[in-house]
Amino acid sequence: MGIKLSTQDLYAWLDRRLSLSLYREQATKKTVPLHRQTFWYYMGGFLLVYFVSQVLTGALLMVYYVPEIQSAYASILALNSQVDFGWFFRSLHSWGANILVLFLFIHLFSTYFMKAYRPPREITWWTGLLLLALMFGFGFTGYLLPWDEMAFFATKIGIDITASLPLIGEELALLLRGGTELGQGTLSRFFAIHVMFLPLITLPVLGLHLLLIQLHGISEPRWFQKLPADKQTHEAFFPTFMLKDVMGWVVAFGLLAILVALRPWELGPEAEPFAPAPEGIKPEWYFLFLFQLLRILPGTIGPLEGEHVGMLLFGLAVAGLVLMPLWDTGQSTWRSRIAVGYGWTLLFLFVALTIWGMLW
Amino acid sequence: MNYPFWVVPWLGGGWVIGIISIIHVFVSHFAVGGGAFLAITEQMAYKRATEHQDFRVYDYLKKHSLFFLLVTTVLGVIFGPGIWWSISLASPAATGVLIQEYTLLWAFEYVVFAVELATFFVYYYTWDRMPRKRHLQLAWIYFFISILTLVTINGMLTFLMTPGDWVETHQWYDGYFNPTYWPSTVLRLLVMFGIAGMYALVTSSKLQDEGFRTDMLRYSAKWLLPVFFLGPLVAYWYFLNVPQASIDTVFDGIHNSGLGNLSILARALYLSLILSGAILVYAFVGPYLNPRAFSFKAALVFLVFGLIVTGVSEWVRELLRKPYIVYGYMYSNSLLREQVPAVNQAGFLPSAQWPRAMTEQPLSRWEQGELMFRFQCMSCHTTRGYRSMETLLGARQSDDIRRLLEVMRSSDPAENPYLGIMPPVVGHDDELEALAEYLSTLAPTPAPQPMPLENTGPAIPGIPPAE
Repeated sequence: MGIKLSTQDLYAWLDRRLSLSLYREQATKKTVPLHRQTFWYYMGGFLLVYFVSQVLTGALLMVYYVPEIQSAYASILALNSQVDFGWFFRSLHSWGANILVLFLFIHLFSTYFMKAYRPPREITWWTGLLLLALMFGFGFTGYLLPWDEMAFFATKIGIDITASLPLIGEELALLLRGGTELGQGTLSRFFAIHVMFLPLITLPVLGLHLLLIQLHGISEPRWFQKLPADKQTHEAFFPTFMLKDVMGWVVAFGLLAILVALRPWELGPEAEPFAPAPEGIKPEWYFLFLFQLLRILPGTIGPLEGEHVGMLLFGLAVAGLVLMPLWDTGQSTWRSRIAVGYGWTLLFLFVALTIWGMLW
Repeated sequence: MNYPFWVVPWLGGGWVIGIISIIHVFVSHFAVGGGAFLAITEQMAYKRATEHQDFRVYDYLKKHSLFFLLVTTVLGVIFGPGIWWSISLASPAATGVLIQEYTLLWAFEYVVFAVELATFFVYYYTWDRMPRKRHLQLAWIYFFISILTLVTINGMLTFLMTPGDWVETHQWYDGYFNPTYWPSTVLRLLVMFGIAGMYALVTSSKLQDEGFRTDMLRYSAKWLLPVFFLGPLVAYWYFLNVPQASIDTVFDGIHNSGLGNLSILARALYLSLILSGAILVYAFVGPYLNPRAFSFKAALVFLVFGLIVTGVSEWVRELLRKPYIVYGYMYSNSLLREQVPAVNQAGFLPSAQWPRAMTEQPLSRWEQGELMFRFQCMSCHTTRGYRSMETLLGARQSDDIRRLLEVMRSSDPAENPYLGIMPPVVGHDDELEALAEYLSTLAPTPAPQPMPLENTGPAIPGIPPAE
């Protein structure tokens, strides 16, 4: 007597309960267009890998991290030097955050120039923009947590910029700081936002983003759609594209591992709130474009304060991205051209201001 | 220290050797592993042609062998002599030891190498001009000769890491058949088969016949299996024979390069393991599971990954040797271990031939310090670049540097924590003083006093105003 259980039996057992065949059938039916710009389709997969890595490494960091200003720095120091592979997981998390944002920008601009925001994918585009904003939030709140000098003063600048916003600035800054100065209140709030509030918002938005991609399929560039049917080539999403995507994940993780091993993320001196800010304080590279924009503007421009003009310009740029699906719906060539020009202008300004900010 | 010093700004001489060697390893390993690939694949081609009249493998091999010829001969001819050029400039003393100890073996290696090249040219130019059976025999002859090049040279390469009893006896066979000779030979053979598979994926991905392309991609991917299944065991065998002090340095680390598993050696080792694992997954989900979609570009990415893993692994092997260039005998700055007490007594500059010649004319204190730096430190460090003194010294003043050098002067590991990775500093007190003074001039200039944030009314609180 014995129990004989084959793989088919196990699959059948699971299939009856989870309807696996349904998903498999869906995945097999789904196709991915194959053309000279297919490479950009892999960016989403890269982002997913980096996001999962952030979640896993973040969970591990929480085991040792103490969100209290007397202990936060010491807990990261101990993690780096005393916990086996603590440096590795912390570096994976910190480098991963930066790489994630980099690929978010690449994904943003590649989908933008492929016009993937056009109907019926407006909501996919908006959820993508929202995810970008959420990742900025993760970056901003996570940066302070080690409570080192650079993080402390960069966050101080970030909150001061927020405070300069008209109307709501002061209240928003007060809310973020948890008081009039950066201290325990700020750390507690940033920690809670970083590990609880932002993930709670991100997961459903990400779920919706992925669901919409499944519903609408992968966007095809206009020139590809215009090709005769026999010239349009597609490949199966599962397993063909999926396995290629996994190859991309391997490369993505390999790149991250190279950075982590060769340049483990550093920890500066502990923050001293009453000490003067050291020279060269700058925010993380992905906030540099905004930082530099505000730096180069004079104190006042006409009747307006310089920083208000800066924030207004930034707001207009973002509004342009948000409204683009409604403006360029694919019906008008001149609108499409303006959209392309707008995209290149934003990309150029973003890159130029970032580099300028780095070199300043 | 008895030869002129080759200064390579920013990069350092070590990396010139490193870059050339890593590319050469990737090419030369292909020359050997690819020999096995050609022989075994031609055996398959012969069988298919005789039994099923299927000549597709033959057609593939003709093209693959052209690729093989171009890569191994053109790149081999550039980077092989390139290694000799760079090592003789960057480490002339160690190169001298290698040549003097193994003169006849080097001569033998060159003869074998010439025969290998000649055999391959005959092999390539006799496609369709020779009976198939004879051509197959030629493939096996090439395979045998290419293995012989590995077996010959490996003794001299492993000698540098583990010279074994040679340090005492100075008998060539003690150094040649050293503790890591056999594990290293087996490990390199496995790696060579893997590299041959990686190159074959590039040529297979260009095949037009879809069914045959799938077969060849899967077949090529399988060449990576031996190294992934046996590699870890053989690597363990290799590490068992590496001096314990080197293993300790890897996992304990030292100040400045990170402690514990944060040490640069441990990190490089982990990176090598992670990327090797990544290659296995890539080969499995790519050419093996999904050959139809495995493109030429994907094969090139794979090849680049292979090159990176080769580079990192070879770098780990080099780091294991620290602080020596010939383990237990000659330090990385060419100072002989047994010379240390005598040099400390007589002074460094008068003891070393080239610095002595340079000190025949009056030198300023700065120049003396610079000379000490060149001959004792610059084989691994640069002033501003790789392992930069500017970064490592930070804001230390001359007195602090002098005290640090005093610590680094000791040959007792209990007193000198840097001994695991750096040679002891040698010389008279005044020479160390001159070195300290010179090094203090490399330290970055002190930054101006930081200004408070609330300065001069900027546009945004906390942001300095535009200049």
